[in-house]
Amino acid sequence: MSGLIPIVLLGTLILIFSGRLLAQWSRQSHTRDVTIEDYSQARAALDSVFAETAAIKRIFASEDMEFISQAGTSDVQRFFLKERKRLSIQWVRLTQKQVAHLMDLHLKLASYTYEPSPKSEGKLTVNYLCFILASNGALVLLWLFGPFKAVRIVAYTVRAAEYFCSEFSLRLERTDPVKLSSARQLRSV
Amino acid sequence: MRDSAFMDTNLIWLIAIALEAAILFRGLRTGLQKRYLLFYCYIGCLLLIEVLRFLCLSLTPNLYSAFYWQTELVRIVASYAVIFEIFKRVLRHNPGVARIAQDLLLVVFVVALTYAASDLLHGGFTSVPRATADLGRYLLYVESAVLLVMLWLFGRYRISFGGNLLGLTLGYSLLVALDVVNLAFLSTPGNESSIGLRKLIPITHLITFIIWCASLWSSQPELLPPAESAIDRDYALLAAKTRAALAHMSTRVGRTLGP
Repeated sequence: MSGLIPIVLLGTLILIFSGRLLAQWSRQSHTRDVTIEDYSQARAALDSVFAETAAIKRIFASEDMEFISQAGTSDVQRFFLKERKRLSIQWVRLTQKQVAHLMDLHLKLASYTYEPSPKSEGKLTVNYLCFILASNGALVLLWLFGPFKAVRIVAYTVRAAEYFCSEFSLRLERTDPVKLSSARQLRSV
Repeated sequence: MRDSAFMDTNLIWLIAIALEAAILFRGLRTGLQKRYLLFYCYIGCLLLIEVLRFLCLSLTPNLYSAFYWQTELVRIVASYAVIFEIFKRVLRHNPGVARIAQDLLLVVFVVALTYAASDLLHGGFTSVPRATADLGRYLLYVESAVLLVMLWLFGRYRISFGGNLLGLTLGYSLLVALDVVNLAFLSTPGNESSIGLRKLIPITHLITFIIWCASLWSSQPELLPPAESAIDRDYALLAAKTRAALAHMSTRVGRTLGP
């Protein structure tokens, strides 16, 4: 009976992918063909998400929160937190949407090229998946803790990752390759 | 009770034959048979098989079981023509995906075939009808694995479909998906003579024929590729641009959220 599971899975996946194809087709009937112009526009749209860098940084600025906690009432604080949370989530979602659109256009245009490289495609897919994972993680953090605490957690994680990376590279630098090779020679004797 | 079940089966059978004939007739009328030649050959083959099976059951019912599995094997082998037709027609404007798909499908085909062959050899040889049925089932497994990869590629690269080709692909996917699950259940011990499962196969085929009949009733215009000046055929340049855009975006997100 356990041998049936992969076959049932195979049949189910075929049905799911067929449904996806149908959904794709219904969307496609409203749109025209993708051109290199659309791709350039999508890149510009992605850049525009970061156009107001100072304003975006302001969403996560802890100074504002400190000011409100000193001067405002609890109602004002709650309203301020709610607004900033909404804005930060909106910004992450907009970035996700623009990146997804760019990847969509990339895949469509890649299908027209003569010699796409499966290796490059694989790398891009991994990069994109990492982005989806990280941005969804950020969304969960923003939703759970709000923008100020979430940024602190992200900053802490980035700092911890940097620390581990530098420790690791230091350890590699300290490793004496001569000693390693002599140890290997001893083992082979 | 048995008579009514027999009548039901006959009715489904006759409707299926009528639908196959209708698909063939409309194909000839609309000129779609020239566009999808292999598919219409497959439908012709199906029609012939159904008529022969019907005659066999009416004239020599004791030979029907063996005849059914032999013709089923022929049907499954013939259905590979449809998968080839879909591949050829869908990817004719997408040379890049066709190239990737060719390599990938070849790998999937060889792996699935090796797995199926080793399983078939380990199963042991009991009788000719049983071996024929097993061979047909394993060929269907291979076919469904290939189809799955193809559908995934079509979805991943957002390949455009015309109405006729979409109907053909969806009907075929439904047929293969339900057939493969049905045959797998039928082959498990204790289920070989399940009437419910046996009845499900013709109903699945009937639904597929209805989809094909509706989507291929009239010839719909095929999608044209965008003008040569509007697309870039250089993959390396495109990949470099996307990679740069993603890297740029990551840096800026990091700068905004980071320490």
